Amino acid sequence: MSKVWLTTLGLAVLLLASMGTALAFGSESITGADVLDVLAFHFVPGRDATPDPIAERIIWRLRMPRALLALLVGGGLALVGAAMQTLVRNPLADPFILGISSGASAGASLFYLGFLPPLLSKTLSMPLAAFLGGLLSITVVYLVARGGSRLSVARLLLAGVAMSALMASITSFITFASPDPNKLRAVLFWLLGSLHNTTWSTLPLPTVITLSGFVVLLGLARPLDAMLIGDEPAHSLGVPVETIKRLLIVLAALMTGTLVATSGAIGFVGLIVPHAVRSLVGVLHRRLLPACFLAGALFLLWADLAARIVLPSQQLPVGIITALCGVPFFLYLLRRNAYAFG
Amino acid sequence: MFLKQFSFFSFVLLLLALAACSPRQEPSAALNRVMDDLGRSLVLPDTIRRVVPLAPNLTELVFTAGAGSRLVGVTTADDFPPAVDTLPKISALPLDFEALAALNPDLVLATDQVNSPDMTDTFAALDIPVYFFSYNDIEGMLRSLRTTGDLLGTPARATAAADSLQHALEALGKRTADVDKPLTLFLIGDDTLYSFGDESYIHDLIAIAGGQSATEDIGTTAPILSDEYVLTTKPEVIFGAFGADYDPAHLLAQHPTWDIVPAVANGRVYSLDPSLILRPGPRLVEGTRQMAMKLHPSLFSPIDTTATP
Repeated sequence: MSKVWLTTLGLAVLLLASMGTALAFGSESITGADVLDVLAFHFVPGRDATPDPIAERIIWRLRMPRALLALLVGGGLALVGAAMQTLVRNPLADPFILGISSGASAGASLFYLGFLPPLLSKTLSMPLAAFLGGLLSITVVYLVARGGSRLSVARLLLAGVAMSALMASITSFITFASPDPNKLRAVLFWLLGSLHNTTWSTLPLPTVITLSGFVVLLGLARPLDAMLIGDEPAHSLGVPVETIKRLLIVLAALMTGTLVATSGAIGFVGLIVPHAVRSLVGVLHRRLLPACFLAGALFLLWADLAARIVLPSQQLPVGIITALCGVPFFLYLLRRNAYAFG
Repeated sequence: MFLKQFSFFSFVLLLLALAACSPRQEPSAALNRVMDDLGRSLVLPDTIRRVVPLAPNLTELVFTAGAGSRLVGVTTADDFPPAVDTLPKISALPLDFEALAALNPDLVLATDQVNSPDMTDTFAALDIPVYFFSYNDIEGMLRSLRTTGDLLGTPARATAAADSLQHALEALGKRTADVDKPLTLFLIGDDTLYSFGDESYIHDLIAIAGGQSATEDIGTTAPILSDEYVLTTKPEVIFGAFGADYDPAHLLAQHPTWDIVPAVANGRVYSLDPSLILRPGPRLVEGTRQMAMKLHPSLFSPIDTTATP
């Protein structure tokens, strides 16, 4: 028990330290004194010394919101990943398994490359188009999987995979047919997942959605534990299995839809982090979920830092880094622990 | 008897026809061997009547070289000069070989910046000669203009056009020789900040226009700049290839932290027609002139601004 709390506490401390690193480093070098100046200006009350305006903009208005968004997106995707793995009782599940990210990508490409009717494209923004695309996709998956009063997990998975493929082919078709190479480059950047162009005004919606999703999932920790054993045993324990399944799908749609709309489909966080965390704190959701949030946040924070600095004068889409670093680590984990899911 | 007469008559006719044909076959039988920019040797017929360029800048080179009437097709990306609107259009990326073969070209022009040299095997199989251009600076563009004239049999017009473009550039360079050179940033994208690295011709264009390019030391071909980079580099002028009707205020809306970047603070953000800069053809000179006018408006009297070089 104490080991679990120690692990969680360790993750939290590591996360704070990493925040500092993410603020101090970037494509341009800012002196440590300037970084402290800016932080003191914003956090120490009654301090008048105005910091260097360029450092202030870089640290406080570019790196800070971007680092916070990395925390939210990484933590949020890891949470949804853990919940999805429990929902379908399949270790391959991730936040994108129900077709949300492919739907969102299709929505965003349709919007961005100008394939929507003018009336629609004037009332929508790209995040909204992405969100609607994700919502449409998961609705279709849900309707296909629903049979009578029960929700078939197998059909849910298959419909999700099929819908993902359909949406991905729509995205490919649109990008292939697009006449404008500049917009194409921008949309490819988004499709790979990127936190660039984050400002403070980007943050409120993902913050509210992710944190409330976190609270709801924590509230569901016991029923989720029961569902790991199977629908029938959980049902006999008095868990309203079907209601919880529906609730989880709505939650996943909201959280994943919002996060993908904000930052593109950043892969592997939601798949890898829950597995890594289970090997540290076990499978009980009361312990798993907080650690998942912290570890996911930590992972994406570092991945984004790498995306910003690893190549000189290149901003990499962070999705490339998460796959590049996450997958070998994941394979190592699988090999080292005789790891069993659930 | 009748039959004999007929066969004799037809034999004479055949001889006559052969005699009439053979002098006409002579020039098309005379073939020229030329070497393209990739060092590939190719054999061309003496007169080339049917040409298809596989990139918009090559189309513009052909027109400027005075051989626009030889074009029998262009790519779907072509939009200049207006005369291309009436020509058949084929997809160049990926290349639609069937549509190209149907146009029955004597010569296909390609550039290794857009077209893949891997496809030369398919061209060989179709027996269509393809000439590859390879250049990435203004001199190369002017050289290719002259080459186009040589290939298509309009060397005089092509040389005259190349000389006139070169003179226009030299005149522009002289005009801006002694002015202050403001630090100039050229952006291709306003959302994702694509720009040009050290190997690009853009830095020469900016230098001729009287500016100092901010990205000329970046050792990446297509760098993606960060907001931080722009803040610390402090460009005095920002050019964007976002189109002539782009609202410069949009750039600040996309990047709110740039309010203290000198170019933004002083209202020196300008957007140009992308095909004047990004399309390495004869209109680079016009693009350079437009940049010079924005960089140094005082050097250009109102009369000059309407004249094209």
